Amino acid sequence: MMTRKEIAINKLKSLGETIIEDVSQNKVPAVRVPSRGTSNIVYDENRRHYVLGDRYGQRSLGNVKQIKKIGQMVYMANFCKQLVEREKTATLRELYYVSEGWEVEFGTQDESNIVGEDLEVTLGMTREDLGLMPEEDGASVYGDLTIKEDDLEINALRSGKSGYTISPTINEVEFVDHNVQRVIAVETMGMFHRMVQESAYKKFDTLIVGLKGQAARATRRFLKRVNDELGLPVYICNDGDPWGFHIAQVIISGSAKLAHVNHDLATPDAKFLGVTASDIIKYDLPTDPLKDIDVLRLKELLKDPRYRYETWKMEIKKMLKIGKKAEQQSFSKYGLEYVVDTYFPEKLEQME
Amino acid sequence: MERQAGELFEEFQELTASEFFRKNKQMLGFSGKIRSLTIVFHELITNSFDAAEEAGILPEIKIDLKRLDKDHYVLRHTDNGPGIPKNFVTKVFCTMFAGSKFRNIQSRGQQGLGCSGCVLLSQMTTGKPARVISGYRENGELKGVQMTLKMDVKKNKGLVLERKKVDVKSTGVCLELHFKDVSYSLSEQGAFEYIRRTMIANPHAKIVFRDPTGHKYIFNRASAVIPPLPKEVLPHPKGVTADDLIFMAKHTDKRRFRSLLTSSLSRMSTKRVNEIQELTGIDLNKRPKDMKWEEAEQIVDLFTKMDFMAPPTSGLIPIGEEQIEKGVVEILNPEFVAAISRKPVTYRGGVAFIIEAGIAYGGDSGRMVGEQRKAEIMRFANRVPLSFDQGSCAITEGLKSIDWKRYGIRDLESAPITIFVNIISTQVPYLSTGKQSVAPEPEILHEVRQTAMTVARKLQKYLRAKKAEKEEAMRSKIFEEYVPVILKEAALLAETDVPEYQPVLAKVTRRALAELMGEPIDDD
Repeated sequence: MMTRKEIAINKLKSLGETIIEDVSQNKVPAVRVPSRGTSNIVYDENRRHYVLGDRYGQRSLGNVKQIKKIGQMVYMANFCKQLVEREKTATLRELYYVSEGWEVEFGTQDESNIVGEDLEVTLGMTREDLGLMPEEDGASVYGDLTIKEDDLEINALRSGKSGYTISPTINEVEFVDHNVQRVIAVETMGMFHRMVQESAYKKFDTLIVGLKGQAARATRRFLKRVNDELGLPVYICNDGDPWGFHIAQVIISGSAKLAHVNHDLATPDAKFLGVTASDIIKYDLPTDPLKDIDVLRLKELLKDPRYRYETWKMEIKKMLKIGKKAEQQSFSKYGLEYVVDTYFPEKLEQME
Repeated sequence: MERQAGELFEEFQELTASEFFRKNKQMLGFSGKIRSLTIVFHELITNSFDAAEEAGILPEIKIDLKRLDKDHYVLRHTDNGPGIPKNFVTKVFCTMFAGSKFRNIQSRGQQGLGCSGCVLLSQMTTGKPARVISGYRENGELKGVQMTLKMDVKKNKGLVLERKKVDVKSTGVCLELHFKDVSYSLSEQGAFEYIRRTMIANPHAKIVFRDPTGHKYIFNRASAVIPPLPKEVLPHPKGVTADDLIFMAKHTDKRRFRSLLTSSLSRMSTKRVNEIQELTGIDLNKRPKDMKWEEAEQIVDLFTKMDFMAPPTSGLIPIGEEQIEKGVVEILNPEFVAAISRKPVTYRGGVAFIIEAGIAYGGDSGRMVGEQRKAEIMRFANRVPLSFDQGSCAITEGLKSIDWKRYGIRDLESAPITIFVNIISTQVPYLSTGKQSVAPEPEILHEVRQTAMTVARKLQKYLRAKKAEKEEAMRSKIFEEYVPVILKEAALLAETDVPEYQPVLAKVTRRALAELMGEPIDDD
């Protein structure tokens, strides 16, 4: 079997080959780029995440408006191929600066980011596969997991109180060993530290992942890999509001915007643990009233195919009915330990 | 104390035309410093043109304008026309309403006020006499006379201060006048612009103008064709009033009213006269002077209801498309020009007119406003520029009512174009005595619109072709720049050599391969 690296190099090379082939046959080369417009993003019931439809756009060498784009794609592909061959990575920002030396330079970084996405969808590979890294680091991980980054072995239990930070190059990381049963991801670093302090990792034999809000691509790739490769169930605990719901849902079903790489990022088996509307009622949590924008967002979620399961629909409707939301940390109403001592055990028992 | 009528009427007097205009000089167009000078130029130039053309001479005028003091100028105007016989010189320059143009004929001037009006203005503002040199032929012999003249306003006659024979080299008139309270301006209403526009409508003329700074402008002839002389045409029945009929009846030598009608009006056949007699019950065999006002009214009323052939158009001499284009090219040096001369039609049922229009784009077209060229409208009536009162003019209104966007001109105001419109008619319906704007008769508005739209369509076609050509060139440039570098990079990516790509480049630039390869192209 070919490694991801070999696949990436081959795919990049083939982009050049099709163009050269066409020219040799006196044909005007054109690259077909799957369309990323909202109308071409469809929810795949079998795979349980968003995928791209079958609509294509053209980048033709014979079109005034497209020739620069196809040129930029070719230059970028060459740059990526060199990165992958030398096992280096570059950030999108670095790529943008490198492109200033090209004959087909970009006007803005947005423009180069878009061509980067073009390359991803055309080749069907994530940009991490192509050596392009996001700026930001991924989530923090705490728990008994041993990984290998290059030659360095790291145990996430012995990486300080903030744990191991998921690197943008998570694809290159090798899982060496672990001694956990599950993974619990929490929205805020506040909750992450609470769980570390209360030894939740020991109590529940779990990895604790601090998402820091919306999960970065590297974090989602990490969760997908531990779920797939290590067979660990993934639970997500966020604030009890539409935004917390959606952070969980993007981990579970993928985002619409990254439909072309969701197969590498979505973890359809991950489960939303809370805070649910039912939890708010059951635990009588301190709440804030829903704002107009919260209500609007909840109603949007009701129409989203990712929320088509009855349990989701019920929770959304319930929240709309009570008109209230609650933060993760609101459990401290009953003492700081309550969330670890009472809430998590009850919920985990319910779900497992 | 009550005064008797007789006492009051002791002060009763007759006012001569000169006296009237001395008090009402604005009626001659002399209002405002800039306008007054432009009107002087207008009167002298049109007179010279008319005179030269009538004599079959290509007009050539020399104008010298010197500034003696602020608002004080000396104007010397010299033409190459047939000149004025010495006995007529005082009449031409010092008597108002004396002239040869009171006929139903297409001409620039019409009322015999032009030259004498200028002399009047000069005298009123400076008290200085006019100096005239006239060269003319008498019995084949070239004669010259020099006169210094003043106008006796009370008598509407000239006073000769000095008169002597002089040697002249050719025929023509040289007039020297002093003016105060006038001002030379380069604005749209100024004298310079008046000359420039005159030259566009009269490409057969030559004008050499020395402005107050001493700069000499030579406006050369763009065409050596003297326009044919317009013929006098009889008035059309639909264009006459009851008063006209009574006037004709009084001054005719015909014995019967019916023969007066057939000989004085156009399109008036015996058959029509019989119809009129039948329908009105008026005996048309009676003597003209027995015609009553009520009967004349009845006949005119009937004219409006009857069908007549359109008036003859032999009296209308348009400038013509070719001549307009020549004039425009000479003066504006545009990138594109198109002109149209429409067929004659009538307004008010009986007055024939022709609308001609030209459009110029690029070059010196449009007027400079700051750094930018904006659209300018040049209005003409019988080849004479109309410089004032453009707001209410049929030409302006007609042009403004056109949806210029449809012709690829996004904003008429800010396009570098000049639109030329000339109305030709024996009776141009002016809105006021200044004769600077044409009445918006529905038929005239319609013709102005149609004519302008026709030339606008031609401009649109040109602009489209120009844009397409530019885009084509840009296209080719883009491909020629990018294709080689992209294919080099693609070959690097594919780890192979750059293939032969000239056929593909030829395909995408839609250029002949031979041309791309730098091979000579066969022109045959």
